[in-house]
Amino acid sequence: MKGLLLLILLSIVSQSVVFSQTPSCEFTLSGIVIDEHDQQALSFSTIYIVELEKGFISDMNGVFVVPNLCKQNYTLVIGHIGCEPDTQQILITQHTKKTFYLEHHIEELKEFAIIENEIKPLSSVVKKELSPEELTKTRGRTLGESMKELTGVTTLTTGNSISKPVIHGMHSDRILILNNGIRQEGQQWGSEHAPEIDPFIANKLSVVKGAQSVRYGANAIGGVVLVEAADLPDSSGINGEINAIGSSNGQQGVSSAMLEGKSNKLLGIAWRVQGSLKKSGNVHTPNYFLKNTGVEEQNFSWTLGLNKEKYGVELFYSQFNSIIGIFSGAHIGNLTDLQTAFAAEEPLEKADFTYDIERPYQKIEHELFKVKSYVATGKVGKLELVYARQFNLRNEFDKHQPRGRENDPNLPDLKFGLTTHTGDLIWEHERIKKFKGSIGVSGFYQGNTTEGRNFIPNFIKYSSGIFWIENWTSNNYKLQIEGGVRYDKIYQQAYVWEKEELTEPDFNYDNFSGTIGSVYKLTDNITLGYNFGSAWRPPGINELFSDGVHHGAAAVEIGNRTLSPEKAYNNLFSVEYRAEKLLIQVEGYYNHIADYIYLAPELPPTLTIRGAFPTFRYKQTTATFKGVDTKVEYHFHKNVTYTGKVSLIRAFDETADEWLYGIPSDRFENGINFHVDSLKSLKNLFIGVSLQHVLEQTRYEANSDFVPPPKGYELLSLQAGLEIPLYKTKKQTVPLIIGMQINNLLNTTYRDYLNKFRYYSDEMGRNFILQLKTTF
Amino acid sequence: MKTIQKITKASLFLFLAAALMIGCKKDDDSPKPSSSNPPVNEEELITTVKITFVDTAGIEPPVTVFFRDPDGDGGNAPTQFDTIRLAANTVYNANLEVFDESKNPVENITTEIVEEADEHIFCFTPTNVNLSIIRTDSDGTYEIGLASQWTTGTASVGTTQVVLKHQPGVKDGTCAPGDTDVELNFVTEIQ
Repeated sequence: MKGLLLLILLSIVSQSVVFSQTPSCEFTLSGIVIDEHDQQALSFSTIYIVELEKGFISDMNGVFVVPNLCKQNYTLVIGHIGCEPDTQQILITQHTKKTFYLEHHIEELKEFAIIENEIKPLSSVVKKELSPEELTKTRGRTLGESMKELTGVTTLTTGNSISKPVIHGMHSDRILILNNGIRQEGQQWGSEHAPEIDPFIANKLSVVKGAQSVRYGANAIGGVVLVEAADLPDSSGINGEINAIGSSNGQQGVSSAMLEGKSNKLLGIAWRVQGSLKKSGNVHTPNYFLKNTGVEEQNFSWTLGLNKEKYGVELFYSQFNSIIGIFSGAHIGNLTDLQTAFAAEEPLEKADFTYDIERPYQKIEHELFKVKSYVATGKVGKLELVYARQFNLRNEFDKHQPRGRENDPNLPDLKFGLTTHTGDLIWEHERIKKFKGSIGVSGFYQGNTTEGRNFIPNFIKYSSGIFWIENWTSNNYKLQIEGGVRYDKIYQQAYVWEKEELTEPDFNYDNFSGTIGSVYKLTDNITLGYNFGSAWRPPGINELFSDGVHHGAAAVEIGNRTLSPEKAYNNLFSVEYRAEKLLIQVEGYYNHIADYIYLAPELPPTLTIRGAFPTFRYKQTTATFKGVDTKVEYHFHKNVTYTGKVSLIRAFDETADEWLYGIPSDRFENGINFHVDSLKSLKNLFIGVSLQHVLEQTRYEANSDFVPPPKGYELLSLQAGLEIPLYKTKKQTVPLIIGMQINNLLNTTYRDYLNKFRYYSDEMGRNFILQLKTTF
Repeated sequence: MKTIQKITKASLFLFLAAALMIGCKKDDDSPKPSSSNPPVNEEELITTVKITFVDTAGIEPPVTVFFRDPDGDGGNAPTQFDTIRLAANTVYNANLEVFDESKNPVENITTEIVEEADEHIFCFTPTNVNLSIIRTDSDGTYEIGLASQWTTGTASVGTTQVVLKHQPGVKDGTCAPGDTDVELNFVTEIQ
């Protein structure tokens, strides 16, 4: 535990600092405030000293003087009209001269994520994100379900508790999930393997394309999901947040707590501790309970950071623990069982409500430890070093203990242990003339061990990459161009037992990826964007080696060791119209994927003692994904907003001239929201209804599935919320934020095409949700 | 400010304590197998079904048929899948056995089915063949089907489906509930 040592060291050092201060209040802080972009002096800037509760104003030339300062740390808030206020810590030990750079905050360009904070990545294409406020409304859901709020994102689910984000029709190994800047490395290849991330860690959830694929390496074909925590506090004091959520369906309870702070005495170390608990029992559809669909989750994390102008260190540790019951009715022995289950009006296994989780279930642990440090390299940039280690342990317990193993009920039938080490060294430079960018190298090691039922072999994987991204912005900020290139080399070796002999096949892959994109502000209201990017993905371990009956799928899947990497060429166009009352966002994409890996049906079916199983082999073809996402917001009254969303997608196997399997069908969403900013002491009151309309997927090939896709459906949901003042402190009013939701208001019976359990059961019925949140 | 500092310090120490308690878990074992012996699969498979027919009148010769897939699902195809050839207008006592031939020595799973008789049932469904089958054994409440009586009619050719259902806690005497452990369609000739 390197982190621990550092922590101890820091606490010792901080002790000595605390007692070494003697007040002497005769020093002056003087300087100038300058626009970061064009180097112009900012006249009449404000310099507010938090400790003195006093403000000062610069003159015409941006020059300011703050007299009578003591020998101590001060927190300054520097502001200017049209600029994001900048908070800085400064230690005064003598008369000090300082130049402050402010960034002009350009409202219209916000959507295009020119995030000046160096730690965050650049992106030149429309970035879709859930703000902290929007995230609050999704509290209690899984990460995947939360992301569904974003246009163009759907979920691939396995029952009610396992959901993976699907971006523009792509999921699993084709998208990257970054948890606090680190590639999430679980057993992502499996469709019933949800991302092992506590959604409460996130302060912001976003989907980005473009330069991200270059920044984070291979696999970002469908896009990158960023799960970002809030920055550590930069002013002293202690803040916290508490959430409590209850849902009627499944009688689910979720709670989370977070505490963060910073002490100026302790060298300015900032910290955060956070944890969450979740428990849910059997959920019910409109007509019956689903047996064994409970979930338990216990997660926690801590962060410790020291952020100075010239250097900084941040430690982060998180642990995710989850037990997920798998709906018993979805456990099948063969194709006849599947057809019986599908034909049955109700699942043959009946249940009542219980919190107990029985076999079959999954028990998952995920651990992430990260150290990030940076040093300033002169005035223009900084060098950042990030190391992270992840450990993912997945235990799967089948419905019945296998014969011969009855004596050891806690032994999983399938166990994967995946350990990943990643290291990145990145130099980011501030705007030099009109350019701003980063250059970096990264290294990666991964080892996987498998025990139990033979599904995928043990393997090791090494990868290394180098990238360069630059962003160019015109003087008037109307045009931005961003480009990047990356080269990766990946080596993978598997340890396969074949007929009692160990073979060690190895694979080498290497490839370039690149991106070029541009955002142009045509008028005050209209912004255009275009991005072209290439990305690639080496074949996954399951695609190379799986061999056998896929558990629960009633199909034999056969890997293919001759697969070559997928290569994707993505085009993304976006138009945004933003006026006072109206917002229209349209995004179109056309993705061409060469050597697209998919499961192709093969004849004859595989004969086993449990009957003949349909057989699929991993093959490659040329595929295209094209689609349009649209979002409209119209504020037709100051208290009333209409929101509309449309997502259309077409995915095609160009070689076979056939539709691709498992693509989300067209969906439409309409909502009306009535909101009032304040009513007496109440704030942010709103009530809204939304109607989601999902069409039946008619674009599929007749022989690609056991049963045709389910019918389309319409879901009505209701949302309301308000903030009431809880109590007042000297600094602020502590609010209680209350949210109420009714999902599936009409208790509609339906099945979703992207739920793997659509063969066996209906979706969840009506669900009342109450969310309470307070921050202090 | 004083109290805040105290709280901050206390929290930091709490942190330290928490960090001490929760160290990182050690890396799992090395992915490269250290031994040259393949991992032992303790899980039992059903690889083989054997049915022995004996004429109750003692006239026709006994008949034995096999289904064999010694390496289990996938991999190599089944090695033996016999046709059931029975004499016309005869009553046979059939005895069913299942084995795991992927193990050395071969494991007889029939004994386990007998031990867990209240969780198992065999079902027989003849199609296009003049044959009627009844189970003749019992777990005390419901039939099992390890022993059965096959009564043949006139000469005909069709199939007989043999199904073994695992029904822990849900056995109701029918073949509907549970998971399928065996489902074989034997070609059946009545001569």
